[in-house]
Amino acid sequence: MRLRSTTALALAACVATPALAQSKAEVLDTYADIAQAGYEDSLIKARGLQAAVETLLGAPSAEALQAARATWLEARVPYQQTEVFRFGNAIVDDWEGRVNAWPLDEGLIDYVDASYGGATDENQLAALNVVANPVFTLGGQEVDATEITPALLQGQLHEAGAVEANVATGYHAIEFLLWGQDLNGTDYGAGNRPWTDYATDAACSGGNCDRRGQYLKAATDLLVSDLDWMAGQWAEGGDARAAVLEDEDAGINAILTGMGSLSYGEQAGERMKLGVMLNDPEEEHDCFSDNTHNSHYYDGLGVRNVYLGEYLRIDGSLVSGPALSDLVAAADAGVDEALRARLNATMVELGQIKSAAEAGFSYDMMLARGNAEGEALIMGAVEALVDQTRSIERAVSVLGVDQIAFEGSDSLDDPDAVFH
Amino acid sequence: MRHLLTAALCLLTLPATAGTRAVVQDHALPRVAGFAQAAQALDAAAAQDCRADTLRPAYQATFDAWMGLSHLGLGPLEEDGRALTIAFWPDSRGLVGRTVQRLRAEEDAAVDRPERFAEVSIAGRGLFALERLLYEPDNDGNGEYTCRLAQAIAGDLSRLAQEIETAWRTDFADQLLNAGAEGNSRFLTAREASQALYTALVTGLEFTADQRLGRPMGRFDAPRPQVAEARRSGRPLRNVILSLEALRDLALALADQPIPETEAAFATALQTARALDDPLLAGVADPSGRLRVEVLKNRIEETRAAAAREIGTALGVSVGFNATDGD
Repeated sequence: MRLRSTTALALAACVATPALAQSKAEVLDTYADIAQAGYEDSLIKARGLQAAVETLLGAPSAEALQAARATWLEARVPYQQTEVFRFGNAIVDDWEGRVNAWPLDEGLIDYVDASYGGATDENQLAALNVVANPVFTLGGQEVDATEITPALLQGQLHEAGAVEANVATGYHAIEFLLWGQDLNGTDYGAGNRPWTDYATDAACSGGNCDRRGQYLKAATDLLVSDLDWMAGQWAEGGDARAAVLEDEDAGINAILTGMGSLSYGEQAGERMKLGVMLNDPEEEHDCFSDNTHNSHYYDGLGVRNVYLGEYLRIDGSLVSGPALSDLVAAADAGVDEALRARLNATMVELGQIKSAAEAGFSYDMMLARGNAEGEALIMGAVEALVDQTRSIERAVSVLGVDQIAFEGSDSLDDPDAVFH
Repeated sequence: MRHLLTAALCLLTLPATAGTRAVVQDHALPRVAGFAQAAQALDAAAAQDCRADTLRPAYQATFDAWMGLSHLGLGPLEEDGRALTIAFWPDSRGLVGRTVQRLRAEEDAAVDRPERFAEVSIAGRGLFALERLLYEPDNDGNGEYTCRLAQAIAGDLSRLAQEIETAWRTDFADQLLNAGAEGNSRFLTAREASQALYTALVTGLEFTADQRLGRPMGRFDAPRPQVAEARRSGRPLRNVILSLEALRDLALALADQPIPETEAAFATALQTARALDDPLLAGVADPSGRLRVEVLKNRIEETRAAAAREIGTALGVSVGFNATDGD
């Protein structure tokens, strides 16, 4: 019944020219403000991680490792809420692989269990183990890695051999260095790297503890500098802010492109549905730390944030302003109502995954072959994300912002082409 | 432009355009039926004689039929992840090889019960798992289990193909043709149905250009011919050609008016592909061969641009979100 009235409203919208309560420029300002606050929060938390890593490397202990893990988990909360800025903003999309590339062949970085295997068709470097090898060959060239620096990670190792799974930098590389491989399969339990992997004396486990520490420090320093750069892009006068404000329709389209692409292709498809269908715990987004329920939850929240024009910062303060929701409501109240309802429904589904995981039914257990309850939880969220994507498409239509795609003869899902 | 498009949107009160009708009746339904028949024949062949060399022709025929509809990634192919199960590719983490190896090493008993086998990781099912059994030399001396695994995969493929055929024929065709009807929450307007099919067309062209060609091309200094789609069964270029033929058929059905520019672009792309004479796309490994593959990739991108100008604009739709939007 509601759907029929939506159709009626859609038709009514054709005869009445809606008065816009909020201007597109104001909505874009709110969007850029949320981005700026989100990346600043991510930067603040990454600096906390950097301090915890320095403490760990200065005086390795079980407590220090645990403290570093805790700051990593906190750091994911604001960062995941920024993922909605990826698709649609070329500046973010081109940069994102540096900080959140996933999935990774972790054998590139450090020792792995024998069950991991070695090089594959796709990745000849899957078991390179930089921590253990100060000198190695890459594409026929000898690489001097006697000192592990941010420049080595970013310039030579990251995506080495043009293989995306060669993730040498970012949150997930750091996650692997803090937790180690999760060898529990689809049973309960995360990675369990011993703190002695960072011990500086005879207690050193796993070999090359000093090099492992160098790697962890280089990767953390790089994360901080990368986030610092991105926060600047969204500040007043920054390029990312200027890019969305430059053309109002293109800017509004970028918001919706980010919402739809993250909801559907990325989160519902790549990260959630595929994991269930492969029954593979390594398909978990935060697979070493078993934090996947949170990374999915805050991805979903980020989509809702930019639509409703509000973001709760890590200090509890609220960034809010004229919202895309207002623009859509002015064009077609039914489409706005349906989209808000679907965003909320998604948060309920993602909240159920989060609460089940926090109570001990961890995300990797949900992925186990034949685990009907886990599959139902995950697929419930996938369906909610797919439903919300259809509403996002309707919002694109009622706002008419896909016109720019016609004019450029380019597709909505090809932001690079639209924006260059 | 804007006013014209808004007006066009308002005039579209019919439940389906002629193009949508043509896609359903002349394109989708015959193709899902063809795939169901091919998969059933593969299943029957495996039941009778599961040896690799005798199964290969039925395997190739099933893959050919799949290429005829794999671009229709909406509805029944998307639901329950059927398309992913039938053809899990790209496999960026090498899961097919590992999963098949594990099934054989453990002699996983799921192969003996279809409902249990349907729960196995998609990396151990579908066309790419079967390709390993039929085209990689079997050195583990476990022919008896491999035979049962091949039969299980063939049976699973046939089941999926029948489900797709039934879902299209009894449900999804009606949804596309009766947009806005009571109970049809998938398509509220004819424009949404057109947009979904147009999205399938553009996504299909992008997939062939960016994945089927782009993945083996890799980077100029790091080509990766070993990741070409279905290289073990000798199909990389064949899949490119069959997908272009299927997408051309979709474009012609979907358009409500002549599309000379798009037709010409398809003809050029297909001619370029056939002239490659490089079934495995192995040429990407050297600069001149890579250039020829890159030319083909550009031809496909030009086809996409032509389709956007001629079909997208006429239908008043842009590309919707699609499953390949992620990274």
